[in-house]
Parts: sequence; structure tokens; C-alpha cells
Amino acid sequence: MSLVSVVKRAVEYVAERFPVEKLNYHAMVEKKEVPVHRLSWGYYLGGAALFFLCVQIVTGLMLLFYYQPTVSDAHASVEFISEHVHGGALIRNMHAWGSSMMIACVIAHLLTAFAMKAFEKPREITWVTGVGLLFLTFGFGFTGYLLPWHQIAVNATKIGLQSIEQVGQYLPGQMAQWPRAIRETIQGEATVGQATLSRFYAIHVIVLPFALAGLLGIHLLAVQLHGMSRGVDEPARRREKFFPIFIIKDFSVWGVAFFVLFVLALCLPFESFYSYPLFEAYDPNGSTPDGIKPEWYFYFVYYPLELLPFGVILVASGLAAVLLLLAPWIFRGTSRKTLRILAFAGAAYFLGMTLFGERIYHFFKGGAP
Amino acid sequence: MIDSFLLVGLPYLAITVCVVGTFWRWKTQAFTWSSLSSQFLEARQLRWGSMPWHLGILLVLLGHLVALALPRVWGSLMTYPTLLVITETVGLGAGAMALVGIVVLAFRRLTSGRVQAVTTTMDLVVLALLFFQSLLGVLTALLHRWGAAWSTATVVPYFWSILLLRPDPSLVADLPPIVKAHLVGAWLVLLAVPFSRLVHVLALPLSYLWRAPQIVIWSGSRRARMQAKDLAVAESRREFLKGAAGVAVAGTLLSAGVLDKLVRFFQGPKISGEMETVLLAKRLRHLQMTAEEQALQLERQKNDRILIGRLSELSATKGKYFIDFHMAPALAFLGANGLPLLISAKCTHLGCTVGGDVDAQGQILCPCHISYFKITTGEPNPGAPAKTPLPHLEWAVVDAAGKTLAQRTAGGAIEGSLAGVPPEACQVYVCRPSPEGAS
Amino acid sequence: MNRLLGFRARADGSARRAPFAFAALGVAFFAFAPAARAYPEFQAQIAKGAGRPVNCALCHANPDGPDGASYGQIGRLNPEEMERLNRARKAIEPGAEVNSPILNEFGNELVRSLGMRRLLELKLNPAALPDAIDPKSDMDRDGIPDAEELRDATHPLKKEDGRPWRLFTHNVRKNLWTIFLAAVATAAGLYGLAQLLQGFARAARAAHGEEDSSDRE
Repeated sequence: MSLVSVVKRAVEYVAERFPVEKLNYHAMVEKKEVPVHRLSWGYYLGGAALFFLCVQIVTGLMLLFYYQPTVSDAHASVEFISEHVHGGALIRNMHAWGSSMMIACVIAHLLTAFAMKAFEKPREITWVTGVGLLFLTFGFGFTGYLLPWHQIAVNATKIGLQSIEQVGQYLPGQMAQWPRAIRETIQGEATVGQATLSRFYAIHVIVLPFALAGLLGIHLLAVQLHGMSRGVDEPARRREKFFPIFIIKDFSVWGVAFFVLFVLALCLPFESFYSYPLFEAYDPNGSTPDGIKPEWYFYFVYYPLELLPFGVILVASGLAAVLLLLAPWIFRGTSRKTLRILAFAGAAYFLGMTLFGERIYHFFKGGAP
Repeated sequence: MIDSFLLVGLPYLAITVCVVGTFWRWKTQAFTWSSLSSQFLEARQLRWGSMPWHLGILLVLLGHLVALALPRVWGSLMTYPTLLVITETVGLGAGAMALVGIVVLAFRRLTSGRVQAVTTTMDLVVLALLFFQSLLGVLTALLHRWGAAWSTATVVPYFWSILLLRPDPSLVADLPPIVKAHLVGAWLVLLAVPFSRLVHVLALPLSYLWRAPQIVIWSGSRRARMQAKDLAVAESRREFLKGAAGVAVAGTLLSAGVLDKLVRFFQGPKISGEMETVLLAKRLRHLQMTAEEQALQLERQKNDRILIGRLSELSATKGKYFIDFHMAPALAFLGANGLPLLISAKCTHLGCTVGGDVDAQGQILCPCHISYFKITTGEPNPGAPAKTPLPHLEWAVVDAAGKTLAQRTAGGAIEGSLAGVPPEACQVYVCRPSPEGAS
Repeated sequence: MNRLLGFRARADGSARRAPFAFAALGVAFFAFAPAARAYPEFQAQIAKGAGRPVNCALCHANPDGPDGASYGQIGRLNPEEMERLNRARKAIEPGAEVNSPILNEFGNELVRSLGMRRLLELKLNPAALPDAIDPKSDMDRDGIPDAEELRDATHPLKKEDGRPWRLFTHNVRKNLWTIFLAAVATAAGLYGLAQLLQGFARAARAAHGEEDSSDRE
């Protein structure tokens, strides 16, 4: 195969994935239609995630005005926002609730997109960038969790980073030291301290947003160029106009999402679900309070990690990541029905671990639930 | 004298004439009950005049009406500064919009030949009246601010005193001339209602907002073809109008709820001196903790031995915490041989701090994931999440003279003994781990 | 939230942590005054009753209790603070002016309203503490009285700490008007936006139709 033909095939491949000839008013606004079927609700989840992202950007920017990323001031500045700045508690609480809701939306979006086989050719790029966005969102959650520098944040981050080091035991010879080096590179020093805070801050506020903007740009462009995938095997009974019918409904979802987020942020402090010692300033010389655990959206790896040998989890999560990234090629021939069952199983696992992980843990390990 | 005519006589005259005249017109000339549309004579300027005028004046009238009809509710609402600012801003904006609209309408009526042909003297009088009335209103809002608040104690009771037939012009007698002129203007407009196109106000054509549009078009073949399109355009215009109204309501409410908070968010809090003291103390405390942490670090950089305490302070059952050379917590116990036993308290599983209380089996507990460690060996219990033992640390016991009596070396061997020196006189040090780190 | 993963509610968590700074800096503080004891009985009872861990910061200035040389602990008090501490210790009867540097506002309020004698009696029956304090007092004004907060093992001085559902209902009631306005604003905004988009679509179609017809002509 000559170089010319390789380049030609590559260009064709990209052209098919990004049909930019559709990049006009006629195709993107006037002609675009959305199929209506029993899974149509799945079409709104990505939009909802985007909405929460916007909320996160706005509230995050506002928090930046007061937040101070040093170990001596971080906790105090967060407390200052909550207690003294007008509307600060609301903004901070919106940021906290918004992050949870965004992650919930992203996960639900992934599962429904999977169930609808939305990764089918020519939408592979959309899917892969979507998986990338999922990882970025988790990255946001993990790095943002540390910033308030309270007990649960620092200790949970320690535990999370420590698990990287555990990979070392499965690597041969000199390589066994690599995970430790990686962890210390992420941390910036031997333990979680000022260097870690600075790094996580930079990652959370600059690196991840830029990465996200890039990936999201590709993702949204691809979505807009290809339109909604058909979603079900049988032909849709009805199709509705993307503009204005679908977009109005989409905005309505945003409105409801905003209202729910607003009421929650106004009335239910995110911290109230945990005992207060977890939210005191981290004291490297004090005792570790009880109840350290990661945020709920990491339970699905955290509890298995507690229950099973580390190697099993390592292999399983590696497999899951590969499966997710390569889904368009692995499941190319799978029927939508099978995909729906798989997605349902995934959802059941995630929900089960999130809601009952603690009970499952105690069922196997004993101890008071 | 002139005051009492303008503020008492005129109102009653205006009200009487308005009621009787309107009734008479309705009885005798119901067909003239109209705003006399001239849309088909001239449409472009009409749009730019009529729309802002009607929108603006409707909003302003609505505000006036609510203030007059529900004085107590209005008054209590106007005690909120934010709401007052918003009301004034919206009112001034709407008034200015109406003023612009009426100017455009006046210009149109005075310049367009076609419209001139159907213009009566009364139309011009009404136009002038409305123009001056709007101008006076805007001037009042600009020059005598917070009218939404001060009118509740002056104009509103005056209005009710007229209505309840107990006229009390003294309530408004001291108001500035512009405001009084605005009042007089209002009565004059009322007076003109039955004799002019103003009568269409009483038809309350609010349904304009909802009803399907009526388009005034020429009959004729070419234009009739455009009818469908005109209808669609009118329909979309109506939707734009409703949309603008909805967005305006939402915007007003949001700005009422959000803007002042947003401004104050960025202004930063106003903190009392007392609170400032508390915050500064807290900040100092955090800085001190950080400083202590760094002092510990520096100490470990500079010295090869760090003092833990007297040997007599150590106990076999309750560990004494200290910070080891890795800046991690560690525990000091009294060993069975009467010598110190130093063990790291950083759990080998995930790095939590291990508890300092020794149980009956001679074990200490890491509370995070329940690992028990035997202090004599550091080994975790079988099946514990932690797989590797807690390392023992090197120590040295030094007497009062500074002579090393006993020490645990890197290999784990113990050299020397207390040699009869009482534990009160012995200082326990933790030693820098040797590079081989065999412990 | 329950305790997780078999974490023990450490009843004696108070005096457990000796001050590292103390040992390491080698500063001879006059620490460990024998009369200074936190009241782990209360802590144990509160944590057990609610199944939610608490630490000494419920009543004390330092989460690890008064013993030690860190902030809010006896080892670090200056003479003036020592004076205040001693005055607080002598507040046998209720009503004395108490401002102990090792206690937080709630702890000081307990000593002020109950007196040391009553507190020492209650130590024998720690479950009775919530009943002993003023049922109306709500120091953080989060809608949950201090006595209830003690039963729930939530902090009486932190308004973001409380049983989630109770906090939520209280805050909803408190912010009803705001929530209503937010609902109206959301509904109005959505309605307006929908109308605008519809109008735009219709106008665009009409404009398009015009082009079509002009094409035909």
C-alpha cells in the first residue's frame, strides 16, 4: 500500500466522521430531526451534563475569587466563603451539588448512549471523546475534592494515591518502584502536602478545563454534525424537529435541573451527610477522624477495592477501561437488545455499589453497618 | 386658589366628565369606540413608535395602578431597598421607552402625508398631552428619585381622599412643581378620554397579546398572495413579544434575587472588628501550625537524633506519639526489657495513623480498615488489609551527661544497657535511619 | 450517615494524642494539669446514641480535647487564658460568667447554664445531658435545637451540620419565598425562551417560504 493511498484512506476516514459539508444552517437547524421512541429521554442527558458543566464553570470562577490554595489558608478561605461572603455558602454548595449531579448525568449519559448503540459508525469519535470526557470529569471530582483541605479530603486523597503505589507489587524487578515514583510525582513530595495542593489546584482550575474544552468541542461538533443516533432497532414511529421542538424541551430540562440544583444548594448543605469532624481543617499531627471515604461516585471502585485483592481490581478496571474505549469496535455487531441488557447490568452494578456498597462490605467483612 | 382648583376641582370635573362622557359615547356612538388604526397608511414608523409606547406605558400604568389600588402591599414591598431599586429602574426604563415611542408617533403624525389626512385636532391635543405627561413622569423619576416609595405617603392617600369624597390637597401641596404638573396632567388625560381615541384604553385590549393577529391589508391579487406569509410573520412577532415578556419577567425576578447578592459577593463581606479578630486569630493559628510542621521538618534535616521524652514517660500499654524522620507519625512504647520500643504508626496499608492503645494481645489497631499490628514484631494480624509489618525505628537512650547508654542499631540489634541509671534520668531519642534502612 | 467500615467511635479519643510539637520542640510547657479532663463519657454516649462519630470539638476548642500543647489545649495557654480557665473551673453553680479558652461557645454555654456540679452529676448518666439543656436553645440557628443536635450527634455550632432531612425541611420553610420566586423565574424564563425560539423558527420558515416563492416567480 503506497503512502498516498494511506493518506487518502485517512482523509476519507476523518471526512466520514466529520461531515463538515453539513456544517450549515440548512442541515443543522432546518432539516435536523430527532427520533421519538421509548428511549428518547436518553437524548437529554448529555445536555443536562453540559448544563451542570456550565454551572460548575460559573460557580467555580466565583469561588476562585476567594479561595487560597495553601495548606495554611485553604480551609480557612473555604470557611470564609461559606460563613462571611454574601451568597458564598450558596455558591459553594451549588458547586458541590453541581459536581455530583454532573457526574451522575455523565454516567447516565454513557450508559444510555451505550444502550442505544450511539457509537455505531460513523459516531466512533463521538463515543471515544465521550469516554475521555468521563475520565476528565472523574479527574475534576478527584482533584476538586482535595481543595478544601479538610480531613476527609486530604485523607481520602492519600488513600486514593496510595492505591497507585499498590500496583508496584505486581510489577517485576526494577519496575516495582515505578508506581511509587508516579505517585510521588503526582503528589510532588513524599506525602500529601503543599506541593500536592498546588498541583491539584493547577490541574483542577487550568489543565482539566482546557483539556475538557478541547474534547468537548470535538464531541459537540460530532454530535451536531451527525445528529441524534436512531437509538432503537425498529424504525422510529415519529420524528420531531430538532429546532425548535427538541431544543425547547432540552432547555426545559435545563430549567428543571437548575431549579432542583438551586433548591438543594439553598436548603441542604452537602456536608450534612457526613459527620462534622471530617470537615475540620486537616491537621497533619492530629488524629484521623472516623469515616474517611471517597465521594460517592468512586464507591463503585472503592468498595470492591476494600473487598477483593488489589490485583483483581486492577485487571478488572483495566479491562473496563479498554472495553469502554474500544466499545465501537468490540460491540460493532452486537444487537441493541444485548447492549441494553449490558447497560442495565452496568447501571445495576453502579447503583448497587453506590447505594449498598457499605452494607455489602459489612456483609462480607463483618462489623457494624 | 389655583392649587385647590387643579388638585380638587379638576379631578372631580375630570372624573365626572370621563364617566358621563364615556357612557354617552358608548350609548350614542359605540361604533367610534376605536383607536382608529392607521397601520395600512404607514406601517414602518408605526411599529417603531406604537410598540415601545404601548409596552412602556402599559408597564408604567400597571405600576401606578398597583400602587394606587394596593397601597399597603406596595408600601411594604418598597421597604426592601433591592426591590425599590428594581422598581425604579424598570419604571424609568419603561417610561423612557414610552417617551421615545410617543415622540416617534408624534413625528409620524406630523410628517406622514397619508396620516396627516386622517388626523384631527383632538388627536394632536391628545398627542401633546401624552407627550408632556410622559416627559413629566420621566423627569419626576430622574429628578425626584424613589417616587415608588415617597408616593405611598403623598399621592396615594391624596388619590384615595378624592375617591372617598374627602379631598385633601394638602397631602400633595408641598410636592415639587414637576410632580404636581404630572398630577394635573393625569386628570387632564382622564378628561380627554371620552372625546378622543383614548377611549380605546377602556376596552382594555389586553387580548392583543393572546389573540390571533388581525392584519390590515389591501385587498388585491398580488398582496393577497402574501397573506399567509404576513400571518406567519405576525404570529412569530406575537411569539417574540410573549417570549420577551417571559424573559423580562424571569430577568427581573432573577436580577431581584441574584444581582444584589452577586454584587455583594464580589464586594466582599463587611466584617465587624470583632469578627476580624476571630478570623485573624484563626489565620494565625493555621500559619503557626504550618510553621511548626516546617520546624519539625527542619529539625529532622539538621539533627541525627530527635528527643522523644524521658524513658519514665513511656508506657507499655499506651504509646506516645512523635514524628519520625519521614515526617510520619510514630509511637514510643516501653518494651518488656525496660528499654524503649519505637514503631512507625503509619499504617502500611493506606497510610492512616495507627492507634496508640495496646490491647490484651499486645496489638495496636489501625482504625481505617481494621488492621491489628503486634507491637513487638510490627506484624499485622492474618487476613488484615495491611500485608507488611510496621517498621521498628532506631533509638538511643542517653543519660543526663549526654552519654549514650543503649541504642538500637540499623540491624535491629540492641547494644548497651541502662546500667542502673534510673529511667527518670534517661532521655529517649529517635535516630535517623541509616541509608540501608534495614529495620 | 453511619460509621463506615467498622470504624470505632473512639470514646477516649480526647486525650489520646500527645502533642508532637511538644516533644519535638523540646519546650517545657506546664502541660497535663491533672484537673483537666475532657468528658469522654458524653462523647461516647452521643456517638453511640446516634451512630455518628463525634470528636471533642463538639464542646472543646480542639478536636483532640484539652490535653496537649496545640491550639485550644492547656499546654499553650498564656497566663490570662489560664486565669479564665480557672475561673471556668470554679463555676460550680449555673449562671456564672464562663469563658474558658479550652471550650467552644457551646461548651462554655453548657458550663454557664448547668454549672460544673450538674455537669459532673450528668457524667454518671450521660444520656440525660440533652434533656438537661434548654430545649429551645439553638445556637447555630439551623432549626434544630441544641438538645436535638446532641441526640443526633451533629454539631450545635455548625449550621451546615444536622440531620439532612431536618435541615432540608427547615431551610425550605425558611426560604419558601425565595424558592417560589425562583420557580416563577424559571417557569417564566422557560416560557419566554420557548416562545422566542418558536417565533424565530416560524419567522425563519416564513422568510424561507418567501425565498421559495420568489424562486417560483
